[in-house]
Amino acid sequence: MRPMTQLTAILTGLLFTHLASAQSQPQPQRWVSAGGALTEWVVALGGESHLVGIDTTSQHPESIKSLPSIGYQRQLSSEGILSLRPDILIGTEEMGPPPVLEQLRAAGVKVEVLSAGADVSALQDNLKKLGALLGHDSQANQLSEQYAKQLESQHDWLAQAQLHQTAPGVLLLVSHSGSRPMVAGIGTVGDWLIKQAGGRNLATHNGYKLFSTEAMAGLNPEVLVFTDRAQGGASSRDALLKENPLLTSTQAARNKRLIEVDPTLLVGGLGPRLPEALKTLSKAFYPADGSLNAKVAPAQ
Amino acid sequence: MRVALQPKTLFIALSVACLLAIWLSLALGPVSLPLMDTLRAGMRLLGVPVQGDNLQQAELILGQIRVPRTLLGLAVGAVLALSGVAMQGLFRNPLADPGLVGVSSGAALGAAIAIVAGASLGGIPESIEPYLLSIFAFAGGLIVTAIVYRLGRRDGQTSVGIMLLAGVAMTALAGSIIGLFTYLADDATLRTLTFWNLGTLNGASYARLWPLLLVCVFVIGWLPRRAKALNALLLGESEARHLGIEVERLKRELVLCIALGVGAAVAAAGLIGFVGLIVPHLVRLMAGPDHRIVLPASALAGASLLLFADVFARLALAPAELPIGIVTAFIGAPFFLFLLVRGRT
Amino acid sequence: MMRAENVSVHRDGKCVLAGIDLTLNPGEMLGVLGPNGAGKSTLLGALCGELKTSQGQLWLDGQPLAHWSGQQRAQRLAVLPQSSTLSFAFNIQEVVAMGRLPHDSGQHRDTEIIQASLEAADALHLRDRSYLALSGGERQRVHLARVLAQLWPGEGGQTLLLDEPTSMLDPLHQHTTLQAVREFANRGGAVMVILHDLNLAARYCDRILLLESGRPHAIGAPDAVLVPDALEAVFGLEVLVQRHPERGHPLIIAR
Repeated sequence: MRPMTQLTAILTGLLFTHLASAQSQPQPQRWVSAGGALTEWVVALGGESHLVGIDTTSQHPESIKSLPSIGYQRQLSSEGILSLRPDILIGTEEMGPPPVLEQLRAAGVKVEVLSAGADVSALQDNLKKLGALLGHDSQANQLSEQYAKQLESQHDWLAQAQLHQTAPGVLLLVSHSGSRPMVAGIGTVGDWLIKQAGGRNLATHNGYKLFSTEAMAGLNPEVLVFTDRAQGGASSRDALLKENPLLTSTQAARNKRLIEVDPTLLVGGLGPRLPEALKTLSKAFYPADGSLNAKVAPAQ
Repeated sequence: MRVALQPKTLFIALSVACLLAIWLSLALGPVSLPLMDTLRAGMRLLGVPVQGDNLQQAELILGQIRVPRTLLGLAVGAVLALSGVAMQGLFRNPLADPGLVGVSSGAALGAAIAIVAGASLGGIPESIEPYLLSIFAFAGGLIVTAIVYRLGRRDGQTSVGIMLLAGVAMTALAGSIIGLFTYLADDATLRTLTFWNLGTLNGASYARLWPLLLVCVFVIGWLPRRAKALNALLLGESEARHLGIEVERLKRELVLCIALGVGAAVAAAGLIGFVGLIVPHLVRLMAGPDHRIVLPASALAGASLLLFADVFARLALAPAELPIGIVTAFIGAPFFLFLLVRGRT
Repeated sequence: MMRAENVSVHRDGKCVLAGIDLTLNPGEMLGVLGPNGAGKSTLLGALCGELKTSQGQLWLDGQPLAHWSGQQRAQRLAVLPQSSTLSFAFNIQEVVAMGRLPHDSGQHRDTEIIQASLEAADALHLRDRSYLALSGGERQRVHLARVLAQLWPGEGGQTLLLDEPTSMLDPLHQHTTLQAVREFANRGGAVMVILHDLNLAARYCDRILLLESGRPHAIGAPDAVLVPDALEAVFGLEVLVQRHPERGHPLIIAR
């Protein structure tokens, strides 16, 4: 090409690139996140450096724990969040109160409400949105596909296991120091966990509901998955059985098939640590050599 | 035992405290605004054309967040304190507080019913939501006040024990019904219920303020005019009647006033306790029980107290926020215990 | 001035007071005596409009009682109950000042009247104290000052009803109280006072009404009413009636 044409081409190219980047939205730099799993995905997508504030349900990974806390996701403070000078607030429908979100929007903060739905399509939607906001679309796609693959291999494993064993009846309980356990019903992440791990959720209601211990014992689950918001380890299992002695009559208790999971796995929709948790859970549901008592450690 | 404070001194001190509280509430917050910016933004909001760069954020924080919040705090504080005075006059007992006696819980239950009913009808339009909540909260507070009053009055006197027990029962009943709603509600309703249930001045906006401000103006305008009658009522119902006061009408008006005040406050800001107990008591300690002083002084003191508590609530855990009910309970509960102990000597 | 004609009161279907005909004239003190449950407080309640009468008529200053508005009635009729349940720390000045509530006499005149009433009730020295810091007897005198202030000075035939005003007082103050009430009557007030002490009634009252089981047993001058037969019939007590050595009124002594 002649030099003049070359120069024109380059300049035009530069002009278009400049215009193009000026037209696209600048990525939000300062992020405030409310909702456990969502925060984990932001970190997984490489956005940890953007985080300037997190809510109390966001506890993984360890490194973000030192970030300023904006409190409980349902009790956000407009001025509090504004003091962090955020460009964006992400959270689920659990976020609130609504007037605060209104005030934040009016103050020019982008408020992105993502789905806390316990299904993979909601997750993929969230990942796509997060990826776009972070400018890491390809990484988001990658994570999305990876997740799908992990779930696929989980299903394959299950298919094999179910050739030889029947799906166990399971209940998932969320309690506080063992008392007032709520049972995970249809539509919850807990329910998704059970089903993906190949169990049958014996609870048929929607959402989390308080059950009487008689009702729980009456359902006689073969496996009890439990999580304790206050304690962990052996003490939480003891607390659960102490506060609800009738549970000791269930098959699960008698065969020592009581499995603990990390409560932060259940908040903010499907999170990145779930596939690992699923592996351990399903091994417990379909034990190779009889019943197991396994604690599912939070994957970092 | 009274600290002898001249009324004039008291009112000057309270007015200064109130202005200070307003100032702190407007000037302090998790977002630290330089003083000059706050002043300039304030003047801008009042319409004074003032030069200055980067005042947008200050104007926003001040105008959209802090001013409505301050107004809400002033109104709620004043109304709750005045409801406390009215309650203590009605029961002729200085320990009567709308929160302790279950009126606040009744109002909360009323509002919860409004939310659940509204949700089942497909959601309440944003414009009438604060008014609807206030009306239901008022009805709930009215019913509970009437019940507790009927139960607690015996031979022309109030049995404090019965009054407090009735309050415990009412609070438990209201709580359990709200719990039932929570249990049966679908996710969206549940969320609305939860959000509203937490006592806070957070998210205050001009739109939500109107019902409360209307009630506030009414209560502040009406109660002090009955000050002398309230004084006489403290002598006893018969004695007040013999002094020419229409006691039954006065009692009805007091019940309405309490229910309105507490209903509006609860609908706007959730459950905030102890203001109606602490404030009138402190005022009486300083200046005696004459309602002509106690009523206006309590309004000022209640407004100031709530604003001070709110400033603390916003700053203590910034950027998170303490529910203001916790701060007032923290001050109020030990104070209440102190009063009970002192009453035994 | 008050008049009652054929007044009776029923409660829970039972007749607790019947056949009451009496007049409270200006300048006169009528004492009401009788055993417990005789209906003395019921009578007072009926007269001041607190209790509903099932029969009969009541007039205050020539008009039916119900004719007067609350404030008008309070300017003409005051009641001193047996005890008070005030539990707020008003000072004495404030308590007595409440007696001026039905009037629009202005602060200056009110202060004068409060002063005079406190003096009459021998409670002037208590003026700046807190009500809650007083003894039972002192509180009673403060309330007396209050009702005196309500009707001060008593020259217009205002009616004062008192329910056992001396029950908590020491002997000296029993007399100073009744003396103050006597002076109120002397100025022109019409007084009805329920007493349990026969001798106090004999000394201070112009007339006596003896009540028994809700019915008037006798009404008249102390000499006529306070006789051994009547007293034994009503109180079941054997008595001697003598004359007070200095004053001449009946002196009742239990045998």
